[in-house]
Amino acid sequence: MSLVSGPGRAGLSTASLPTELRLSVAAHVKYIQALDNRKDELEYHLTTHLRLNGVYWGLTALHLLGHPDALDRSQVIDFVLQCQGENGGFGAAPGHDPHLLSTVSAVQVLVMCEGLGELEARGKNGGGALGVGRYLAGLQDRKTGTFRGDEWGEEDTRFLYAAMNALSLLGLLHLIDVEKAVAYIVSCANFDGGYGVSPGAESHAGQIFACLAALSIAGRLEVVDQGKLGRWLSERQVERGGLNGRPEKLEDVCYSWWVASSLKMIGKLHWIQGEKLTKFILECQDTEQGGFADRPGDMVDVFHTVFGLAGLSLLGYPGLEEVDAVYCMPRKVIEQVLGPREEIPIE
Amino acid sequence: MGKYEGNPVWDDVVPIPQDDGEGALAQIAYTDEYAEAMGYLRAIMAAKEYSPRVLDLTEHIISMNAAHYTVWLYRASTLRALNTPIDKELSWMNEVALQNQKNYQIWHHRQILIDQLYPSISSDPAAIQALADSELAFMTQMFDEDSKNYHVWSYRQYLVRKLGLFNSPAELKSVENLLRKDIRNNSAWSHRFFLVFCNPEYSTPDSKATEYDARIPDAIVDRELAFAQAATFEAPQNQSPWNYIRGVLRKGGRKLSSVEQFAGEFVTLPEDDSAEDVKSSHALDFLAEAWSEEGKTEKADHALRLLADKYDRIRKNYWDWRRAPLKEKTSK
Ligand SMILES: [Zn+2]
Repeated sequence: MSLVSGPGRAGLSTASLPTELRLSVAAHVKYIQALDNRKDELEYHLTTHLRLNGVYWGLTALHLLGHPDALDRSQVIDFVLQCQGENGGFGAAPGHDPHLLSTVSAVQVLVMCEGLGELEARGKNGGGALGVGRYLAGLQDRKTGTFRGDEWGEEDTRFLYAAMNALSLLGLLHLIDVEKAVAYIVSCANFDGGYGVSPGAESHAGQIFACLAALSIAGRLEVVDQGKLGRWLSERQVERGGLNGRPEKLEDVCYSWWVASSLKMIGKLHWIQGEKLTKFILECQDTEQGGFADRPGDMVDVFHTVFGLAGLSLLGYPGLEEVDAVYCMPRKVIEQVLGPREEIPIE
Repeated sequence: MGKYEGNPVWDDVVPIPQDDGEGALAQIAYTDEYAEAMGYLRAIMAAKEYSPRVLDLTEHIISMNAAHYTVWLYRASTLRALNTPIDKELSWMNEVALQNQKNYQIWHHRQILIDQLYPSISSDPAAIQALADSELAFMTQMFDEDSKNYHVWSYRQYLVRKLGLFNSPAELKSVENLLRKDIRNNSAWSHRFFLVFCNPEYSTPDSKATEYDARIPDAIVDRELAFAQAATFEAPQNQSPWNYIRGVLRKGGRKLSSVEQFAGEFVTLPEDDSAEDVKSSHALDFLAEAWSEEGKTEKADHALRLLADKYDRIRKNYWDWRRAPLKEKTSK
């Protein structure tokens, strides 16, 4: 899956359209399908280290668009399995060292493709799901509860969430110390109600999403000061309708997803104006060549495409498959694996 | 012919081409220079070679693509194996960082290097000071490009902890300089809070940012309140110092109403029908909370109603949520 940006530019061709913007479903499907035909572009190769993440982004986008079969299932599964290393983890591409984030993408893709059976049958060293789970659990620091991205040690609350995401999908959450992980997240809470990348670090919408989603998976959202956090999150909406990731920063489609999904997780999505946000996200699409950009006028890419679609789905845009705010995957798929989803009621 | 093929220094290495997993090599038409260099790196990594030429090779690849984390990690291992002087590596990295503002791998690499270096200078205050000074100078350069760069701020907190810079006058001074340039820089506000309230000299170890800390001296709380209050007069609609004031009051165990008079400078709500004067919606919000704390329910509700209907309509649902418990109180 290519992560090459462009060819389209968002919003330029829609400038003359009436305010009733429409989602260009067919163009987006085509755009994602065509991504892998761009191996002659340098950017394709400069982003090899994100390839498996790219497959997850592209496939999730297709599911939300209602075209889950637009990529060939067996080809996708073959590619994912080729990325697996000897230790059970997955690298970003075949031959790459395993990394936590690509391993999580591998699990998410396999779940969406109903390919966990193939993992059991054809995974490295016959380890199956348990082998993957052991690799992920091995990255937890048992003293602090945090996770390293790989054997080299970089730590980030995103890693903690990602690991819990995959382990819960595999039914292997018991392999890690969830209590320690929760305590670490609690220590990242800030005076303004948000959460940062580590204790004392500035509040950041991406980190807030990671912390809340991890707490949701652990069933421990009660440790959050939800009123105070919801206040900070709702302050992210700017006049134009989009959401930024920190005070005084520009609005962006990917931050719009992280903020909106966080609000959803604490039952406060109605604290922002959904219509205004929907309009902003739609302005970020290229209606002809497909794809979404971070902001109108910028180059489209698959990363902002999936988060644009996920945002629209969260806001109830008609015709889109419903997204799960915690996993950023189709809710239907998550319910198949985990059963009915509980939600915090709107208040 | 490329930079490596035919070069006597690399003569012994047979490059390993990228296998995209589909077995087809034909598609690999990507720019030759990057492809060639990566081919040599794969071969070097396969042979576990840690030599000076690896530093040249990884430098070349990083100049083309600084986002490939494996390249950084292999470079770090090579530096360790060769015992390369770290100051030289740091100054080279300054250039790379300035050219790759959004890259984060480089900051992790920098942290690995400092961890490696630290034991050799830990008992030499002058050497620690010199390192702190040069790192500060470099970060100031980074902030000239983007004063809210999250990676740089995270690294900075790491450095403050590692080198024990909580009491360094240069540290607080530099934050003040950044705020003087841009009073809305939320990153700088956040760092200030960390510096002041995590200072091991007078704070309770591991006290959370959201909780009261009995050990914080009153003089510090007063100083921080005065600093943030001055900033609100400069830009009343700037949310950062208002959040900061709430945070300081919490740390100091004081009520919002203890600074009610200050917040009142921005808001006049007449008792009669004449129009109100609101210079900052944050002040109005602050007063609403202070009043509700004091049981002045009607006043608090009035302020929240103004926010919902007039001064911050985009978040009407939030303000209505805040009003709900007040209504319960008045109906009892
Ligand atoms: Zn973005």
